[in-house]
Amino acid sequence: MMINSSLRHYLAPVLFAALSAAAGLVQAAAPVAQIQTALAKPAVMCGRFDQTKQLTGIKKPLAANGRFCVVAGKGILWQTRQPFPSTLRITRDAITQLQDGRVAMRLDAQQEPVVKMINNVLFSLLAGDLSQLDKLFELDGSIKNGNWQVALKARQPGLAKAIGDIQLEGGAYVNKVIMQEASGDHTEIVFSAIQTGATAMSADEGAMLD
Amino acid sequence: MTEPVPVSAPTSCRQRLAWVWLLVVALLLGHNGWLWLVQRATPDTDILALLPTARHDDVVQRAFAHMVDSAQQKVVILIGNADWEQARKAATAYETVIARQPQLLRAMPGDAAQLQDAWLATFDHSRLLLLTAEQRRKLQTDTPQQWSQVALGTLYGAFGGPKLGAWQDDPFGLFSGWVQQRAQETPVRPRDGRLYVEGNGRNYVLLLMDLQQPAFSLGAQQQLIPLLDAATHAAQQAVPGVEVISAGVILHAAAASAQASSEMSTIGAGSLLGILLLMWLTLRSFKPIALIALSIAIGCLGALSVSWLLFGRLHLLTLVFGASLVGIAQDYAIYFLCARLGAPAQTSSRRLLRQLLPGLGLMLLAAVIGYLGMAATPFPGLRQMAVFSVLGLLFAWLTVVLWFPALIHADTLRATPLATAYGNSIGKWPMFRWNRTGLLLLAAFAAFTATGLSRLQVSDDIRALQKTPQHLIDDQIKLGKLLDAPTPAQFYLVRGASAEIVLQREEQLKQGLQPLIAAKVISGAQAISNWVPSLQQQQADRDLVQATLLNAGNAAPLAAIASTIGEDQQWQNNLRQRLQAQSQPLLPQNFIDSAAGVPWRHLWLGQIEGQYATIVALRGVNDYRQLPLLAAVASKVEGVQWVDKVADISSVLRYYRQYMSWALLAAYLTILVLLSLRYGRHAWRAIAPPLTATLLTLALFGLLGQPLQLFHVLACLLLLGLGVDYGIFLQEQQHQQRRHAWLTIGLSALSALLSFGLLALSNSPPLHAFGLTMLIGMALIWLLSPCFSQAPLYPTVGAKPFSNDHNN
Repeated sequence: MMINSSLRHYLAPVLFAALSAAAGLVQAAAPVAQIQTALAKPAVMCGRFDQTKQLTGIKKPLAANGRFCVVAGKGILWQTRQPFPSTLRITRDAITQLQDGRVAMRLDAQQEPVVKMINNVLFSLLAGDLSQLDKLFELDGSIKNGNWQVALKARQPGLAKAIGDIQLEGGAYVNKVIMQEASGDHTEIVFSAIQTGATAMSADEGAMLD
Repeated sequence: MTEPVPVSAPTSCRQRLAWVWLLVVALLLGHNGWLWLVQRATPDTDILALLPTARHDDVVQRAFAHMVDSAQQKVVILIGNADWEQARKAATAYETVIARQPQLLRAMPGDAAQLQDAWLATFDHSRLLLLTAEQRRKLQTDTPQQWSQVALGTLYGAFGGPKLGAWQDDPFGLFSGWVQQRAQETPVRPRDGRLYVEGNGRNYVLLLMDLQQPAFSLGAQQQLIPLLDAATHAAQQAVPGVEVISAGVILHAAAASAQASSEMSTIGAGSLLGILLLMWLTLRSFKPIALIALSIAIGCLGALSVSWLLFGRLHLLTLVFGASLVGIAQDYAIYFLCARLGAPAQTSSRRLLRQLLPGLGLMLLAAVIGYLGMAATPFPGLRQMAVFSVLGLLFAWLTVVLWFPALIHADTLRATPLATAYGNSIGKWPMFRWNRTGLLLLAAFAAFTATGLSRLQVSDDIRALQKTPQHLIDDQIKLGKLLDAPTPAQFYLVRGASAEIVLQREEQLKQGLQPLIAAKVISGAQAISNWVPSLQQQQADRDLVQATLLNAGNAAPLAAIASTIGEDQQWQNNLRQRLQAQSQPLLPQNFIDSAAGVPWRHLWLGQIEGQYATIVALRGVNDYRQLPLLAAVASKVEGVQWVDKVADISSVLRYYRQYMSWALLAAYLTILVLLSLRYGRHAWRAIAPPLTATLLTLALFGLLGQPLQLFHVLACLLLLGLGVDYGIFLQEQQHQQRRHAWLTIGLSALSALLSFGLLALSNSPPLHAFGLTMLIGMALIWLLSPCFSQAPLYPTVGAKPFSNDHNN
C-alpha cells in the first residue's frame, strides 16, 4: 500500500537522475531517441536547485533552494539550504532524511520492501537501463536545437493518480522538472550551475554517500 | 451369506433366535447404510472434543475453528527468481495452468490500487486518533519548535518522505508514520499489479488461492496435487530455475492420505494374504476365514449403529481404537472352529456349543468388565471407545453363538497334517514350575523388567505423532519466514464484557509483550487494536495531539508554521479545525466490515455467549522452548488466556494415556477376580501370559529408549483381551483336548500378528507404536501361554489325530 505514495515523493530525484545520467533513453518515439543523444552521462554530477511550490490552501509560493549530487552506482544527495537545512540521502540500503544533524525519518531497505523497489528503479536508471522508466511511464517528447522537453504519464492508474503529470525540460542536462498534481499542488524545480567530474563533489558529500 | 438354518428343520427356540438375529443384522445393515450413505455422517475429528466438558472451553474451541477455517481453504504459492520480471513471467505461466480448473482452485481477487483507496477511506476521518508508541513518546518529549521544523521540512522539501493526501491533512506526518508502522505488519507489498515479497536474494510473486472444495475431500486432493505439479512445471518451463514454494492445509492432508492409502494397500494386502495362507495351511478351506470376518463385521456394524444411537455422534479416534479392540472378537469364532475340529463327529454343533458356552461366556465377560473400566473415566472419548468395543464384542459373540452351530457342521472342517503337528507340539512345551529353575527365571525376569521399566520414558508430544514429508515442512518454514506469518497453533484469547474492554485488554497485553519483542522472542503481535485502538486510547491520543500540536498559544507549532510561511490567524484556525475534524471515533465492527479489515477478520471473534472475544496472534515464533515466556504474559492481564493447541492436544494424549493405564490396571484386577470365581487358585495362570508379555514388552521399550505413548497402552489393552482368552482356552481344556486349545491360540495369535503386528511397518508413528507393541507382545503371549497352563488332566500323547474324527 506504500508504493504509490512513496514513489511519488522520491520520483523527482529519481527522474532527474535518470534523465541526466541517461545514455540509452527509451526507443519509443523518434524525438525521445534524439533527446537521449543530447544528454550527457557523467559519473558524478552536482549542482544547485531552486524549487517553487504552489500549494492549495497556502497563499504564497514556498521557495526553497539547495544543492544536489548524483553519483552513479552510489546514490543521491539532496541538501536543502534555504529556508531550512535538511538533507535527503538515497542509497542502496536506506532512504534517510536528516534534519538538525539528527535522523528525522529513515526507511530501511531491510524493513521496508518499498525502499528496495525504489532503489531498483533508481539504480537501473543510473546504470543507463531506461527500460525501467518505460515500464512505469508513457513518454511523449519533442526536441528543437538541442533543447528538449518530455511529458511523462504513469501507465498504472493508481500511480498516475498519486503523482499526477510530470514534465521535464533540458539540453545536455535536465534544466527543469514540473509536477502538477490533481489536488492542484504545483511544484517546479530548476537546476543550475551543474558541475561534473571528480571535483564536483566535496569530501564531506562524498563521505555521506559512502 | 446363505440361509442360516434349513427352513424344513423343526422350529426350535434356537432356530427362532437365529432368524431373529438375521433380522437384527439386516436392520444393522440398513441403519449403517442410511447413516453413511444417506445421512453422510462424518465422525468428529477435533482432538480437543475428547476433553472432559469441564476442561472444554467453547470459546477456545470457536477461536480455533475461526483460525483454522480461515487457513484451511487457502493455498499459498510463492514464485521466486533473482529477477522480478522473470518471477512475474513464471507466475503468469503458473496461473494459466491453475485457471484451467476454476471449479477447484481460484485466485483471490483484489486490485492493489483499489484496495488502497478503500483502505484510506476507513481511517481518513480518524487520523487524529491514531498514534504509534514512538510518536506518543516524541509528543511528550520533543519541543514545539522541533515539531514545527518537522512540519515545515515536509512543506518545503521536494520529497519529505512518504505522506498520504494533502500536507494540510497530515502536517506533522503522524498519520503516515502510523500507516508506515501498519505496513510493517506484513512484508508483502503491491508491485506492478502483483503481490511482492523479497527474501533470500530473490523477488517472489505471492499467489493467494481459494480452494473451491473441502480440503479434506479425497477427490479434491487427488485433483489438486497433479494440477499444482503441472503449474509448477509450467512455471519452470517458462523460467528455468525459478523457485516455487507451496503451502496449504490440503497439501498436508493429501500427503497424509497418500501415505495412508499406500500403506493400506501394502500392509493391508500383506496381512490379508497372510491370514488366507494361514487358514489354507491349517484347514484347507477359506470358509473359516469368511466366518471369522462375518462375526467381526457384524460386531463392528452393531457397535457403530448402537453407539451412534447412544451418543448421537462418534469421534474418529473411537472408530480407530474401537474397531481394533473388536479384533478380540476373532477369538470367539476361532475358539468354536477349533473346538469343532477337535470334537468327535457324532457331537452335534449345537451340543458342542453348549459345552463351550461357559468358556465363551467367560471370555466375553472378562473383556466387557475389562473395558468398562475405561467408561468410568471422565473422558468422552474413552467412554465412547469402551461402549463401542463392548457392543462390538457382544454382537460378534452373539453371531458366533446364534449362527455358527448352524453354519458349521462336523464335516465342514478338516485339519491338515501341519495343524496336527503343530497341535502336538504343546506336549513338549516347557512348563513353568516353582522349582530352582523357575525361581531363577523369575528372578531374571524381575531384574530385566525392573531395569527396563525404570528407564521407560513417556511422550505425549503431538509433534512426535505426525510425520509430514520433509519437503512440505521445508516449504512451510520458508514461507513462514518470507511472509513473517503468525503461528496458527499458539495465540492469546482476549475476552471481556464489551468490545471496548477487549481492546483495552489487548493494549495491556501488547504492553506486556514489548520486552519479548525487544528480546526477539517474537517479532510482533497481530491484533485488532493495532488498527482500532480502544476508545480510551483514541481519546488519550487525541488529547495528546491537541495539547502538544494544536493548542492556540503563540509558541505553539501551528503559530510558528503560520508565521514562517506568512499566513494569518485565520489560516491557523482553519488548519486546526481541519485537523480536529479528523477525530471521528473508530469502532472495531466498522473496521471488520470494511475492505481494510478483510485480512484481519480471523482475529475478531465478535460476541460469543454474551462476551466479546478476540485473538492476538504472534509473528516470528521460532523457538518452542520460549513458549512458557509467552504463556506467562497472559496471566498478568485480566481476561487474557494463552492458547497453545499443540500443548492442548498433547495434554489430551497425556490424560488418555494416564487414564488408559489405570483402566488397564483395573482391568487386570477385575479379570483376575472374575477368573478366580471359576478357576479358583489357578486363575493367575490365565493372567500370567498377558501380564508377563506386557511387562517384558514395556521393559524392552524402556531399554530401547522408545518412549511410551497412548498407542502403546492401547495395544496393551488388546494384549490383555487376547491373552486372557488364551488362558481361558487352556483352562477349559476338559471340554477339548489341550492340543486343540493350542491350535486355537496359534491361529488367533498369528491372525493378530498379521492384522495388528504388521502395523509396526507403518510410517505413521501412532500405528507403528501400536503395531510394534502388538508384534512383540503377541509373540511373547503365544510362546508363554502354555508355560503357565495347568498340567494336563490326561495325557495328550497317543491321542487321536484331529482328522480321525471324520474318517468313519
